[in-house]
Amino acid sequence: MSVPTSMRVGPFAPTELPKKRYLLLYIFLIWATIIPIMLQFWGYWQLTWDYNRPIHFYIYLPLFAFLCYVELVLISLILARFLLSIVNAFHKPKEGTFLREKSDKNYCYWCIRNTIKRWPVWLAHKFPFPFLDNLCFKMFGVKTTFSNSLFEGWVDTEFIEFGENVVVGQGSHIQSAVIMGNLLIIRKTIIEDDVRIGTHSVVMPGTHIGKKVALSTWSLTTIGQELEEGWIYHGCPAKKFKKNRFFEDGLEDKIQFKAETEERLEEVYKKYYRKHQEEHVSYIEQLKPPSERED
Amino acid sequence: MIKEIKMEENNNEEDHEEEEYLVNFITSSAISRINLKFLLVYLPIIWLSGMITLIYWWFFQPYWTGIIIFFLLLPVHILAMLTIFTFACVIFSKLLLILVNLLHKPKEGIFKAELGDNDFEFWCLRIEIKKLVLWLFNNWPLPWADILAFKWFGMEIDTTSHLFDAWCDAEFVKFGRGVMVGQGAVVMSSMVVGKYLIIKKVVLDNHTVVGGQSTVAPGTILGEESVVGAAGSTAFNQVLSPGWIYAGIPARKLKLNEHAIKRRDIIVKKKIDEEEKIEVKKEVNIEEDKKDLV
Repeated sequence: MSVPTSMRVGPFAPTELPKKRYLLLYIFLIWATIIPIMLQFWGYWQLTWDYNRPIHFYIYLPLFAFLCYVELVLISLILARFLLSIVNAFHKPKEGTFLREKSDKNYCYWCIRNTIKRWPVWLAHKFPFPFLDNLCFKMFGVKTTFSNSLFEGWVDTEFIEFGENVVVGQGSHIQSAVIMGNLLIIRKTIIEDDVRIGTHSVVMPGTHIGKKVALSTWSLTTIGQELEEGWIYHGCPAKKFKKNRFFEDGLEDKIQFKAETEERLEEVYKKYYRKHQEEHVSYIEQLKPPSERED
Repeated sequence: MIKEIKMEENNNEEDHEEEEYLVNFITSSAISRINLKFLLVYLPIIWLSGMITLIYWWFFQPYWTGIIIFFLLLPVHILAMLTIFTFACVIFSKLLLILVNLLHKPKEGIFKAELGDNDFEFWCLRIEIKKLVLWLFNNWPLPWADILAFKWFGMEIDTTSHLFDAWCDAEFVKFGRGVMVGQGAVVMSSMVVGKYLIIKKVVLDNHTVVGGQSTVAPGTILGEESVVGAAGSTAFNQVLSPGWIYAGIPARKLKLNEHAIKRRDIIVKKKIDEEEKIEVKKEVNIEEDKKDLV
């Protein structure tokens, strides 16, 4: 429904405003986008205001305000897009692992890019209809369609590809950049068609999610994880839960409404948890040098 | 060891063929397909409620009252205009919702989540209509006011409950008295699984608590005074027995809710000076022969 205060994650750009000069740029962007709207309002006032008959002015004012808001978003988007292309001409954004320091050029330009994107995306997200959000993503180079529902979650604005009919659940995060210690890791995240991402789940940079995958609630993918096509994933890190057979036709009667007992549920989930543990152990075994391995 | 487990897995797959269609995982209830035509719904609502707000504004211009009084009263006017706008939005979207519900009655069940399915399209439309109002209330300075919006949209809830910081689907949810839903919790009565949309009623009984960031799946029934711990999630159609604390994914019994039991029949008073506890059994003052009925 609405986006509550605790889940209102707002801007779809990592919140990184560390330096004063970036703040100045940010304030300049806000100032520059509001001026055309003020001019427009002045024009509207000149056109319709009449002391004897103010009714015209008032009747069309709500519609005009609505239009103004949409235009504010569009103008700030165009300005941000223009600035972004200038910045990208100086330094092309690229994937990789970078140092999180002033001296690292990639990190500095990543901060500048996010500062530029922040204002239009914030404005678009304050509007309850998701359409403007999708427009923002498209303008900033995220491959997506207008029918995707990305409004309730938190999505990065670069190095992400969406297929068709993707739903991002309430309060879930889709990232293409992450900060770990003094490293900044940027990887391309690809999400293909018919993917459903559950509530509160986190998709880390570099994840490749295949078609018809459902990610269950509270699950987490690791950096560079590949999720196979047609499975339901669950857990931290996300592991195969069962085959996604819910894309078949005529399941209205087969999908069971019966309540499962707690013991049965625990058994089902325990089975997968134990499997996780075994896989995890074997993974640690692989990491060890050959001399220390048990078998 | 790993090979053995794989063998087990194969056996299990054969045994539980029918379990493949069991919904024991949770996705989300976010609207599935964004359609630009839903924007047409917003325009009349915003226009009409904006005009009502402007009627109020027109009566309180400096033209009528004088400039000093106008500026002194301006904050009150802004607050009043916000209120009028929000409540006008509620009234108009409620009217629209009644019309939409007359065209197609909302009902529980399993439907196809595709364009062309009536149930699915009207579900999307209902969500979009309610979204504007609930969004306005969430940006509203009074935290309890959103319960009024939920109530007017037909949810069974009263003002003793609290869900300001949580996400809640505004249909097919029943709240008892004194329910508390924590920050960032998600209470869903609908869920899209693969090609299908599942709508099932959620019941939160009296004095239940849903912890922060936890998820309540469709069809869940929370018994009286039960608790779902933070970051937990209930399974589809799960029934939580009354008076228990649940935690984890899926929610499992952790321990008895002792505080609830104490509250039920014992009132504890403390004399602070002498550090002495006095327990008083709560009594019901009715006839002796009818007492065992309680």
